Parts: sequence; C-alpha cells; structure tokens
Amino acid sequence: MSAKVIKSILLIEDNPGDVRLLREMFDEHGAHDTEMTSVDCMSAAERHLLEHVVDIILLDPGLPDAQGLGAIRRAHAAAPRLPLVVLTCLDDESVAEQALQEGAQDYLIKGQIEVRGILRALRYAAERKRLERLKDEFVSTVSHELRTPLTSITGSLGLLMGNAAGSMPAPMARLLAIAHSNSQRLVRLVNDILDIEKMEAGRVVFNFSRVEVRPLVAQAIEANRGFAEDYGVQVRLEDAHGAAADVRADPDRLLQVITNLLSNAIKFSPANHEVIIAVEKGADTVRLTVRDHGPGIPLDFKPLIFEKFAQADAGAARQKGGTGLGLSIVKQIVDRLSGEVGFTDAPGGGTIFHVQLPCWDHVASLAVDRDAKPGAARLLLCEDDLDTALTLRAQLRQVGFATDFAYSVGDALARAVTTHYHAVLVDIHLPDGDGVSLIVRLRALPQYRDTPIIVVSGDPGSGRDDPRASQLSVLDWLNKPVDLDRLVRILVKPTAQQANRRPRILHVDEDNAVARALSEIGDVVTVNTIEEAQRALKASDFDLAVLDVALAKGADPDLLPELRDSNGNVIPVVVFSAKGASLASDAQVSAALAESHTSIDSLMATVRDRLASRITNIREVV
Amino acid sequence: MTDIRILLVDDEPDIREVVDVSLGLDPEFKIRACASGADALVTAAEWSPSIILLDVMMPLMDGPTTLVNLRNNPRTADIPVVFLTARTQADEVEQYISLGAQGVLSKPFDPMTLAASVRDYLPPSSLHHAV
Repeated sequence: MSAKVIKSILLIEDNPGDVRLLREMFDEHGAHDTEMTSVDCMSAAERHLLEHVVDIILLDPGLPDAQGLGAIRRAHAAAPRLPLVVLTCLDDESVAEQALQEGAQDYLIKGQIEVRGILRALRYAAERKRLERLKDEFVSTVSHELRTPLTSITGSLGLLMGNAAGSMPAPMARLLAIAHSNSQRLVRLVNDILDIEKMEAGRVVFNFSRVEVRPLVAQAIEANRGFAEDYGVQVRLEDAHGAAADVRADPDRLLQVITNLLSNAIKFSPANHEVIIAVEKGADTVRLTVRDHGPGIPLDFKPLIFEKFAQADAGAARQKGGTGLGLSIVKQIVDRLSGEVGFTDAPGGGTIFHVQLPCWDHVASLAVDRDAKPGAARLLLCEDDLDTALTLRAQLRQVGFATDFAYSVGDALARAVTTHYHAVLVDIHLPDGDGVSLIVRLRALPQYRDTPIIVVSGDPGSGRDDPRASQLSVLDWLNKPVDLDRLVRILVKPTAQQANRRPRILHVDEDNAVARALSEIGDVVTVNTIEEAQRALKASDFDLAVLDVALAKGADPDLLPELRDSNGNVIPVVVFSAKGASLASDAQVSAALAESHTSIDSLMATVRDRLASRITNIREVV
Repeated sequence: MTDIRILLVDDEPDIREVVDVSLGLDPEFKIRACASGADALVTAAEWSPSIILLDVMMPLMDGPTTLVNLRNNPRTADIPVVFLTARTQADEVEQYISLGAQGVLSKPFDPMTLAASVRDYLPPSSLHHAV
C-alpha cells in the first residue's frame, strides 16, 4: 500500500477572505488535480462528509457553530478515518499540541503559509494518518493473535501449578510459578493494549446506571486481597458505613478504575504500610481518593503520568509487574464518565490519587431543562451520555427549544407519561434496552401515537434493520454528531402542523351567544364552574381561555395560576367581564375587556387576535 | 449412568489438548474433539453431545457458520453451544448470542475452573442423567 494522492480537500472556514486566499494560492501553483470544496460551518461540513468522498480536511476551528477543541473533536468524530490539518491564527504551540491530541495530524499558522508548505503539510498529514490506521489495525490483530498461543501456555502452566499432572519437586515448582505468573502478566498486558486501543477508537460502549461507590470499592479491595498480601500491604476503606455516595457510571468500568488505582497503590507501597481509600460526597460530585505511602511521583514524571507506557523508573516498575497502561486506561474511562482524575503529593510522603464523578442526584437534577425560555417547545432527549446530552441541549436552546433528558428506557417512559413532549429524540443504544423497543412502547401510549420521534445514533445504520423499525413512523435517523440544521428542519414541520390545527378554547361562562360565536373560531369547551374548568384543563390542552369574572364571583382570579397546558406553558386569557379592568395588570390576561362595553363582535376580534399572536409565538419558537 | 458428553471444536491442536486435560479434571465429563467445523457437524449428529464448545476463528468454516449449520439440522438444533474464544468484544458476544449460542467463555481461560464453568451451561436434563 502506498500513500494516496490527495484529490479532494474539504476546507472548513467561515472567513471568505481566507477561503479566497487559499483558492488563489492553489490556482497559482497549478495544483489543478486537487479539488477544494469550502463550507462555512461545522454542520455543513458534517453533511458534506456524509455524501462526498474527501481525502483530507483543512479546518479553521473558529466557526459559528463550533469552536476550538470542540470543533476539532466534531470534525474528527464526523470523519475518524480522514487526515485533519488545523488552520490557526495563534502562534500558540499549546493549542496546536492539544489539536494533535484530539486527532489532528498537523497544524498551519495563518499568515505564515505559502502554497508549497501547505501541499507538503497535507501530504504528510495524509501519510501520518495512514500509518496511524495501520498501527491501530496491527495492534488489534496482533493482540488477538497473541491470545491463541497464550491460551495454550497459560492453560498448560495453570494445570501444572494446580497439580493436575501430579505433584513435583520444590525447585521445579518454583520455576514453574515464575513462568505461570509471567504468562498471566502477558495476558494482562494484551488485554490492556486491546482496551486502550478500543477506547481510543471510541469503540467501547458504556452502560450508565446509578452506582453506589462504596460496595464497588469493597469489591475491588476483596479482589486485590491476595495481591496486597503478596506485598505485605494493608488496604483500608475509610468511613466504610458513611452516607450513600451514588454516582452515574458504568459499574464495570468504574470497578476497573478503582482496581487499577488500588493495584498501583499496593505495588508502590513499602511492606507493612497502609493504602487508604476514602469516598466523600460533595454537592455535585463524589470524590474517591486512594492514598499510598510509596516513594511519590518524581517531579519530571508528573506531566507524563497518564501517558501510555509511562513508568517513572521503567526498570523498577517492570519488576512490579505493571503494564504501563493502567493509569492511561483510568484517564480514558474517567473522561468518558464525565469525571476528573488527578493526584497530589500526600503530606508525610506518598501520593493521593483522586477521581471525581458526577453525583447521581446532580445528574438527575440536570434532566429537566429549567433554564429554557418560558413557553419554549419542550423535547425529550433519550441519551445516556451526559456530555452529548448537555451539548445538544445548549445547541437546541439557541434555536428556542427546551430539552429534558432521559438516561434510560425506564426513565424515558416515566417522563413521557408525566409531561407531554412536542417531539422525542431517541439514541438507539440505551443501558436498559434498545431505542427501537422504547419507540415501540412510546407509540403504544395514545398521547404519543403521532408525536414526532427522531432517532439519533452514534452507530450509523444500527437498529435500522430492525424489522419493527419500518412501522414506527420515525421521522428521521440522524448520526452523531447531530446535524443541528437538519434536526431543526425536521422539528419545525410537525410543530407548525400542530399550530395550523383548529385552536382549542376553554370558555368559562354561561352565555350561549358567546359560546356559539367562539365555536366558529375554534373547538370550544364551555364550562360553568371553576371545578369544571379545572377538570377540563387536566383532560386536555387549550390555546386560549375566555373567562367571565362576574360569573364566578371573585373566585375567577384563582383559576389564573392553573391556566397552563401539560407542558407547563401559560395559556393566554381573554377576560370578558365588567370587572375586567381590575385584572389588566396581570401579564397573563391578554385582553381585559369590560363586558358591558364590548360587543360580541369586538370580543371575537380580540380572541382572533390573541390566537393569531399565540400561533406566531409558536412559529417563532421553532 | 450416562456421561456428560462434551464436544470440543478448535483448529489448534495444543489448545485441544489443554482443554481436554482441563475438562478431564471432572470425572463425569466424556470429551471428544474436532479440528474443524465440518467434522463437528458430523460428530455432533452421530454422538449427540450434551454441550458443544466452539472456537470462533477457524479456517474454511468459522465458529458462527458452524453454529448456524448445527441449528439448521434437526438432530443438532437443540444442543447447547458455548463459544470458547479470544474474540469477546461486546459486539462479538452479542452476535454469538443472536445466532443462538448459550454463552461465551474467553480465552485464555483458567484451566482449573474451566470444567465448573462449562457445567454452568449444561441443561438440567443432562445433569439428571448423570446422577
């Protein structure tokens, strides 16, 4: 295989001047075999990448819809197999370094580029990307191939050590024990390499649930008991019966984090010393600390500690049976759990590693969007990755939507029955079931029979071949990262349709003439008492209420706070009464009219006007 | 007393031998080994094993194809199949289960506990025979 010729470049750049400059450079240089397409935002780039063959991406990470490292991450996620070169205005090596860590192959500084330089950088970036991919595939294949002979070796040695072939003399047993423990270390190494490779390629699925931290710690301590005894180290969980500390995590992966930190602490502790684990619950996070009494981390090694195969004193670490990947795996997992990991020098010697994870309560409290504009159309996003959910909420808020989260199928069904959502976005992979089953169950609820449902999937095509999928009237299947323009276009249509239906009016009055006139404008529910009105409000949603204050004799203003639809949105009110003037100061009372001074015709004109402005509001929202 | 019959399918002779010794630690187990999927189809139909331990990566006919063929033959359709494999990523395991496998045991395995792990997958009927 040889390096590929670059035929098509995708330039993601919102400054038309820079686009023109680059085009002129290419034309002057006679790089006619290379076609350059430019787009001015990340959404357009993501769309383009879905439909066109591109050899390389040139990205200015200061875009209207994506900035900085976020832009680089999105570009990388949209096309993980394509080489990526970043254009930066800043002569800042640290930004460039981070860009490379996020998956870019090279960077160019604007104002310092000339065409030969660009072409060379692009060719090198493409070649580097090709080599990276070869390496990843090689690592994966080799690791699997290594397991076959390792299975025979560890199996045979394990049988001999278990005396399955009879007992043996002590010197032979000692040598066999060495071979056995080293073969197991090799297995661990291969497993760790595969783990890291999978995580870096984003191929590990995390199953999030509510996890109590202390029992997991106890489990990790138990699993490492023999290991700790070998080193003569005691492990203690402080405050083992403290207040419950629940986090939102994947229990298997969190156990891996605790086990790796614990076995590290044990390995570097001198004999007859303690390793102390503590779990503390804070306001929004749970903090797990692992303290050892080891030699501490050398100053020059501190910045490298989470790197792959990083070991302060390679010789010493190898004697301890480490793979050099443990902390790197910890960092990768904690990142995916939306947490933080770090370390400090312990007073009196040794090191304290700490992991901070989002509290279950905190994550649960984020589920309802409380900062959205009042009256915003409310969506339900069924997504178990918190970071993804928060990003999408922020994007949707900018275009006027409120977004609630459901982290699981159970969660989604519970929310769907208590709140009525304008639309539901479903991730196909959820921890307690698949998205398709969730949609089947939503469609079985009468109030969700016609609700727009959109599938958002991290895995293109996944779930689409499900035989049930074609019957679920899913509006669209979108891949992550979500193309916001496309999503909004889909969401606007059904909501506007809802706005075009006949308006529903709640009429609290006894006047038949008014009821007849109103029924020409919309569907009218006429009730005579406050109690009937309350029942009607529970049963269905209304676009407008027409109230007669005089009829309910001063009780009517009490109905005002209850005049909300099932999404909690305020229903505008037209008061048709002699007392109307006294209510005019209430913002909710759209038109306070005095009955005695108003004809039915002018009342109807006011009602039409209020309804028209409400529908306009809905359109503005979407 | 009927033995618990275990059919092992793996193209690696060394692994066949190690598994044979490991499972032989259970006195009730009677073990036969095949080196290919095609052999396994014939032996399974003739011998009616209580359970089949199946490798994934084999030349000519791989484990999943062998499983599909076993399920298509009425004489072998109901025999429990457990994969014994180094390929145990989540998506791979999902695929085995969707094809009708009862479970997955990963390579490398602990030879001293392999027999007990296999017992966990035995249908109750085969255990009654053995008592």
